[in-house]
Amino acid sequence: MSLLLQLLVNGLLLGGSYAIISIGLTLIFGVVRIVNFAHGEFLMVGMYVVWLCAQHLGLHPYASIPIVVLILFGLGALMQRNIIQPLLSADGHIQIFATVGVSTALLNLALILFGADIRKVDASFGTQPFSIGGITFVSGQLITFVVAIVVATALHLFLRHTYTGRAFRALAQNRVAAALMGVNVNAMYVLAFGMGTALVGLAAALMTVQYPAFPTVGSYFVLTAFVIVVLGGMGSLPGAVIGAMFIGLIDSFAGYYVGPDLKEVVYFLVFLSILSIRPTGLFGLGQGSE
Amino acid sequence: MTKLLQPRTYVSLLALLALVLIPLAIQSAFVFHLAIQVCVFASLALAWNIVGGFTGQLSLGHAVFYGIGSYTAGLLVAQFGITPWLGMFAGAAISMLTALVIAYPTMRLRGPFFSLATIAFLEVARLLIIHEESWTGGSAGLNVPLQIGLPWMIFREKSAYLFVAFGFLVFTLFISWMIRRARFGFYLIAVRERVDAARAVGVNAANAKMMAAVISAALTSLIGSFHGMYLTFLEPSSAFSLEMSIQIAMFALIGGIGTVAGPVIGTVLVLPVAELARGWLSAFGNGTHGFVYGLLLVVVVLFFPRGIVGHLGLRVLKLIDQLPSWPLAIQKAAAPQNPNIHYAPKGMPILRAVNIEKRFGGLKATENVSITLHAGEILGIIGPNGAGKTTIFNQLSGFIRPDKGKVEVLDMNGVWVSPTSPELFARAGIGRTFQIVQPFAGMSVLENIMLGAYLHTKHRADAEAIAREVAELTDLTQLLDSEARSLTIGGMKRLEVARALATRPRILLLDEVLAGLNPSDVVRAIAMIRRIRDSGVSVLMIEHLMQATMALSDRIVVIDLGRVLREGAPIDVVNDIEVIQAYLGKGYTHAESS
Repeated sequence: MSLLLQLLVNGLLLGGSYAIISIGLTLIFGVVRIVNFAHGEFLMVGMYVVWLCAQHLGLHPYASIPIVVLILFGLGALMQRNIIQPLLSADGHIQIFATVGVSTALLNLALILFGADIRKVDASFGTQPFSIGGITFVSGQLITFVVAIVVATALHLFLRHTYTGRAFRALAQNRVAAALMGVNVNAMYVLAFGMGTALVGLAAALMTVQYPAFPTVGSYFVLTAFVIVVLGGMGSLPGAVIGAMFIGLIDSFAGYYVGPDLKEVVYFLVFLSILSIRPTGLFGLGQGSE
Repeated sequence: MTKLLQPRTYVSLLALLALVLIPLAIQSAFVFHLAIQVCVFASLALAWNIVGGFTGQLSLGHAVFYGIGSYTAGLLVAQFGITPWLGMFAGAAISMLTALVIAYPTMRLRGPFFSLATIAFLEVARLLIIHEESWTGGSAGLNVPLQIGLPWMIFREKSAYLFVAFGFLVFTLFISWMIRRARFGFYLIAVRERVDAARAVGVNAANAKMMAAVISAALTSLIGSFHGMYLTFLEPSSAFSLEMSIQIAMFALIGGIGTVAGPVIGTVLVLPVAELARGWLSAFGNGTHGFVYGLLLVVVVLFFPRGIVGHLGLRVLKLIDQLPSWPLAIQKAAAPQNPNIHYAPKGMPILRAVNIEKRFGGLKATENVSITLHAGEILGIIGPNGAGKTTIFNQLSGFIRPDKGKVEVLDMNGVWVSPTSPELFARAGIGRTFQIVQPFAGMSVLENIMLGAYLHTKHRADAEAIAREVAELTDLTQLLDSEARSLTIGGMKRLEVARALATRPRILLLDEVLAGLNPSDVVRAIAMIRRIRDSGVSVLMIEHLMQATMALSDRIVVIDLGRVLREGAPIDVVNDIEVIQAYLGKGYTHAESS
């Protein structure tokens, strides 16, 4: 019983990490309608920034949140402004190649600058386990989980109740009609893309407590994030959070019952079967795959 | 043989031969290695291009087939001593099966979703290879036994590898060129550009995509087997890598996606530069060539999205065409006749909808509609906007299946059939146009019409002859060589009709072919529709242009609110009070009586 409960808790907490990565991805897709294949590399960049802050300024990963969030917002805004914006009306395959190109360039740049070694931040706060009723928690994971839920809720409220949020939703539905209603399309896209990458910066700061930075760390997490976002219905916030929990649970249970080296196979298979039955994802409203 | 004396042919052959001759002249191990890599990657890019270019499905998991090919051949040598010359076919067979398994569920996915799904399959394959350590060697990799000699595809001399690699390149290039020229290639591009228009001329889109996936997988796998033997060491992290999948696709993009020469040109230009950069910049660490690839990719999509062939191809071809050439004898074939077509005697029913009904949610778009088209007549369907005319049309051509009732066609053999898909409707002898024109913009007018003509022939010459004959009937002969995108709206509408006519239909469904035309084009179009009817084709047309409908139609059916309101001779129908009310509202009659 307590094993099941432990696996459940592990799965949900892991889901928290996945959720916070996926929220940014789904925001970018939802608003700009671009699948950002470089999302994982932004996470990797964020993790290196956190590591550098710890190394040279002696900052705890949590303390470096403002710095990393700002830097990643800037990077995302730059990418939208200079690479995505000129390609907004280009063919789909051109947009895919553009973000794949950024991903490849960033990954290899990290390899050039930092080498293939793993870079671990030594943080005491956030790594200590504690247990309640025989179930072990890791404080950092719990914090990540709580932050993910809070951020998702805040973003949801922002999309519902502010002008910018409504503009984002309008853009998601029809770019031209939104422009005719006076929405500054390009500025909003830059903002949305920047927010998406800033969120992955936040994820990086939270996760560096548990995970080391290395050049391919992004691809490791982002494939999972893609699975989550597609499962949850591209562009759907609640979908991303629920999808993240779902994949976290599969990860935890499959890792125990099937074998740690096959857990990814399990959720990729779940992903492929759902994609082939319902191409718009579990919670998509039907417009996701268009 | 005279073809060899054409500048385009001999220039490409010479350029291709240079890939072998230059390394043989220089005799350096590094240049041999470069040339072998170029041949291998150019072949991979060509194979990828069949799916990624011709079909337009951006696979980023193509390394899966490369991996299967190299591992199957490698394991068969290592475990059973089976020569890779056989092993590569075993690998190709497994790859083809895998391609079917991948293509079937992912076929419906678009753009990035398709790419993601292919990446997911690649990951699954890689993880399974690592997991099955006992016989695959796991993540540590697999050494190919070093038995030297032709039977084992392992050579002492680099030049021998180069000959084999060059053979693979010529083979893939030939297959790719054949596909592009054949009916199959036409169909792939048609499915990529406009799947509806393709289905309306009888193309089975799903089959075409699956076929492309299978061919591409087999080729990729064969090349993978050879490359595995060349490297003599296989490991899952490089054989099944996303990085390699991206690289292959990138070479095709840089050269020009969807062209035959593009993937080769892209590889020849980029791969040596990146390999050299790897040497020169090695002081900066491992990722240099990957970084160069990434930057290059971004620069190319921003500034040369159509690739080298797309941007420079025409200019280079013009230069090449100025080289000396020996004239080719041009043969003109007559359009093949099909004597077996059963034309129903005039006045007999040839197409009938029986009590068809279609709902969209709560909306009854078609309610209990019965329409019969007789052989040799022109039947006009009119009705106010939103009456449900196009929905009826889509049911008559298989694009929408009715919820109730049935649509029956008298087929070529004089048997009543109920086809179940657009392509089967086309095969049963129904041609249709689309209200919003669907030209294949990048193809010439001739090629657009040929697409329809391919329904009844496999041969290019026959299709071309049929297309020329149809062009005569539709006033397009002067425009055959221009690109479809350069036509006026009148020309595009006639092209729609021509493409439908090229399928040799016995029934032609015309959806507002007169709308938006200028007066002189309307006159031409009316004459054209008459000529079509006189050639033995029965016509059913939706039209808003009242005078034209009145002049052309033998009978008229009025549709309102999804139902048949009136049916009869043109003159009776237009004077009918209910018809006038449907168009102008009840107020009109009050206004007239007051």
